[in-house]
Amino acid sequence: MAAPRDSWLDRDAGPVVRPYAMTKGRTVSGAGDGASIGLIDVVITRDQAPPEGFRLSPEQRQILAVSRQPITVVDLASDLDLPVGVVRLLLSDLSEHGLVTIRPARRAPVTDARLLRDVLDGLQAL
Amino acid sequence: MDFRPSDPAAERGGLPVTTKILIAGGFGAGKTTLVSSISEIRPLRTEEDLSDRSVGVDDIAGVERKTTTTVAMDFGRISFRSDLVLYLFGTPGQERFWFMWDELAHGALGAVVLADTRRLADCFAAIDYFEEHGTPFVVGVNCFEGALQYDPGDVRIALSLDPDVPVVLCDARRRDSVKQVLLTLVRHVLDLSPAEPDRQGATALSAR
Repeated sequence: MAAPRDSWLDRDAGPVVRPYAMTKGRTVSGAGDGASIGLIDVVITRDQAPPEGFRLSPEQRQILAVSRQPITVVDLASDLDLPVGVVRLLLSDLSEHGLVTIRPARRAPVTDARLLRDVLDGLQAL
Repeated sequence: MDFRPSDPAAERGGLPVTTKILIAGGFGAGKTTLVSSISEIRPLRTEEDLSDRSVGVDDIAGVERKTTTTVAMDFGRISFRSDLVLYLFGTPGQERFWFMWDELAHGALGAVVLADTRRLADCFAAIDYFEEHGTPFVVGVNCFEGALQYDPGDVRIALSLDPDVPVVLCDARRRDSVKQVLLTLVRHVLDLSPAEPDRQGATALSAR
């Protein structure tokens, strides 16, 4: 297990906060749960103040800080050392409250000749 | 304060375009090696929840069954320009993690199936999956030191591949070799594309 960090510590719950505690007990199988958020969708913070009554969790604060630069969902999960499912739920909340923009990745790159050529050129130039 | 993109390269609202390629193959075929050979970052590892998939949102009865059981996903990244980023995802090998393949394969540009000639049968499952889901793929025969060099044609027959599926010999440890495998895949996908952009343009013009 990774060395404990402050964000994982919780006096009441013990040394490790379970993923479902960070998501307030919700799971990743219902509506509004972020299931539609793709692994390589790009997240960027909108620099808005949270609406009245919405309290940011420490993990959501981290997400807002890290996503000042555009960052993909997997990179976020990796940087924050959180499971992708948890990151999706947290993002779903942030997005719902207008705090982040999530730009979906191309869903059908196979038919996107321009994208394919850009990737081809990029690989050739490596 | 208004948000100002610090990255001037942005075409679409300041955000980079992202796409992904899957790296599949049996256990020990060299997937992680391949990713690390070409990734600009050392392969990163993130985790996907395993246990929560079928539990309803407010299903309290399921809460005590939730665990931190996760499965690791390896991925690498290649930024071509500041506005185009390719991700490489190593697919988890065990069959119990196959539900993750659907997510990984969704929206993928294509896949590389890494074959180890000492255990060719290990990549049957991946080939079946991509054929069934219509994901374009190439087979990379990872030439391990000491392993016999095989003729790609023999590998094609052994794997009963469609004639149009490219088979390339490679060395997953060598960046240039991996680059060639990825180039073969992207060219293959372009070949499969319904129409070349020039022809599309011509069609659009003549329709006016």
